[in-house]
Amino acid sequence: MSESEKKNYSYYVEQKTLDVTDRPRKFLQAFAAVLEHGSYGVALDTYTRVSAKCARCSSSCQLYEATEDVRDIPCQRSELLLKVYRRYFTRSGLMKARLFGGFTLTDEYLDTMAEEYYRCTACRRCKSTCPIGIDHGLVTHLARWLLAEIDVIPKALVVATREQLEGVGNTSAITVPGLKDTCEFLEEELEEEYGIAAKFPIDVEDAEYVFFPAVSDYLLEPDTLMGNAAVMHVTGASWTIGTGNFDGIDYGLFYSDRMMESIVNNVVDEVHRVRGKKVLVGECGHATRSAWYIPTFGGEKPPEVINCLQYAYQALKDGKIPLSNRKIEERVTYHDPCNIARAGRITEEPREILKMICTDFVEMTPNRAENYCCGGGGGTVSIDEIREFRTTLMGKRKADQIRATGAKYVVSPCANCKKQLKEVCEDNGLDEVDVVGLHDLLLKVIDFSDFQIDKDESSEEGETDTPAEMQEAAVNNPTETESGIDSE
Amino acid sequence: MEALIEWARGPFFWAALTFMVLGLLRHLAITLWDIFRVLRRAGDKNMPYKQIATNTVKWLFPIDKVGNRFVLSMTSVCFHIAVILVPIFLAGHIALWKRGTSLSWPALPNLASDILTIIAVISAVAIVIQRSMAKASRGLSRFQDYALPLIIAIPFATGFLVMHPQWNPFPFNVMFLLHVVSANVVLILVPLTKISHCVLLPLTQLVSEVAWHFPENAGSKVGVALGKEGEPI
Repeated sequence: MSESEKKNYSYYVEQKTLDVTDRPRKFLQAFAAVLEHGSYGVALDTYTRVSAKCARCSSSCQLYEATEDVRDIPCQRSELLLKVYRRYFTRSGLMKARLFGGFTLTDEYLDTMAEEYYRCTACRRCKSTCPIGIDHGLVTHLARWLLAEIDVIPKALVVATREQLEGVGNTSAITVPGLKDTCEFLEEELEEEYGIAAKFPIDVEDAEYVFFPAVSDYLLEPDTLMGNAAVMHVTGASWTIGTGNFDGIDYGLFYSDRMMESIVNNVVDEVHRVRGKKVLVGECGHATRSAWYIPTFGGEKPPEVINCLQYAYQALKDGKIPLSNRKIEERVTYHDPCNIARAGRITEEPREILKMICTDFVEMTPNRAENYCCGGGGGTVSIDEIREFRTTLMGKRKADQIRATGAKYVVSPCANCKKQLKEVCEDNGLDEVDVVGLHDLLLKVIDFSDFQIDKDESSEEGETDTPAEMQEAAVNNPTETESGIDSE
Repeated sequence: MEALIEWARGPFFWAALTFMVLGLLRHLAITLWDIFRVLRRAGDKNMPYKQIATNTVKWLFPIDKVGNRFVLSMTSVCFHIAVILVPIFLAGHIALWKRGTSLSWPALPNLASDILTIIAVISAVAIVIQRSMAKASRGLSRFQDYALPLIIAIPFATGFLVMHPQWNPFPFNVMFLLHVVSANVVLILVPLTKISHCVLLPLTQLVSEVAWHFPENAGSKVGVALGKEGEPI
């Protein structure tokens, strides 16, 4: 990585970002196009009229709490874009500029925006404290898109999106044979560890559910995926994974509605290809929120969207998932991923599940729609070069929250949150804390006694593991033991 | 002086009031039209109306919101209550409306109006002091953020002295003129400044939600407009 790629910003960008010329004009051109074709105009128009600059939002922002730097006040950040809007897209701004001159959009100003809008995770917590109702997350979302149209995008995000839309087809560059190998390996693990013949059905047509987890789970979160498969197995669900597209990740949500639309449409296309009925999203906050845009971008008769937490909760409620007498006895707490909890859409289902399977569940404070972001939201978790910023300044509040619970397990049903929270714990001396997915724990307490496969068949199939697979299992899943499970 | 006062409370007042009403109606009409336009174009027209309504009511009557920055919040709440109630429900103002238009409505007791007027003036000054004392709000503030509360306080302070000549050290006519002119200036400023939130606040929660409801193909249309369709990422 050359230094030149990082010289303007705290994150790496591609060389082409630095080669773009005439940026202010191109930015304004993009702004005009977005105002014409998008829905942002009404918000910007209203915000510029009523923004009170009261700074109440500062008291809800974990970054400002840590830095106490005025530039980190959400309202101050939003003003960067509102100032451009006011000057170039309102009559009064145009008139003032003609009469008195004043603000002009420059390269330096754009660089400031590029830095500031990636110091925000767009968690939208500040909206709940703004008396005026300004959604600063919306402004960050829009500003990032406009910056992307002049090629200012963190390299980590654009490379992943390129891989997804123009490369192998997913953000982790997993090939279809690689996917099948991983699924087979996970099936064998389920058979060996739990004695069940749970399958990861590939390309099954006419299935009820087409599964889209964060694709990184196939590399990093085998327990979560095994939990997903086990739940589908014991509930007898008809589900499949499509080899045409098996990635729920959508970095477009973090930097470009253009990209988001394409990625969402690819999900819908895959559901249609395998003639599936519903999109089942894995444990991933932003993948879920992106999938909630299927009715927007997905054309006529878009498939229904359901998150795996909602599915599991409903199945538990209906008595379709038998639970053993063993429960998780270590203290468990729950981190609400912003993308599913901020608007209050998924907050109770995971809690109800945890209360059923844990004996010592404690809440973080605040929680649900008022939760603090993990510190890696808005795609920043993928930007490794800003880890220190993420885990100390952004993540400090979350580390304090986790510490206050005294929990052994932090459950977060989101791939991004999990990565960030693991790093937060590492960098803040919380070495005893395990960050896990909800299905990881659920897997440990399902009663599989009615689902056991024939033992002879089991031992025969169990011997198919190669040494390489066993080694991979050990690396991927070092804590795959019965620790954390106790009999009541 | 008499002629000046007559002008201020006559044509100038009606002009200022008309300007305010039309200006606010324009804000409302533009915002409502934009909301309608967005909803008409939105790919997903399902809106969490109940949640929006709840949030709107909670912020219009922010009883459970004052815990956050309590002193500033309470100052702001007191200021808003006073500046809304006194101009509309002062017995003297209602008498003037009745004389000019035959319209009338119940008035606040004079004592209550006096207390609220004092609260308006004190809280306006307190808001400015608190804004300048707190690092975050000081860092954000523009000239208008300091000026507006003080400008709003002028008609209240002068009105109080007009109502209580025994405490007024200045000539009555001067104070009366100052009261009417400053009130007219505030009316003019309402649609031109952030005070326009007096009519837009009931819509802001809705606005913040509808803005997330994009038209179908919004992204690709922007791509086409910028000549980027088919361009490699």
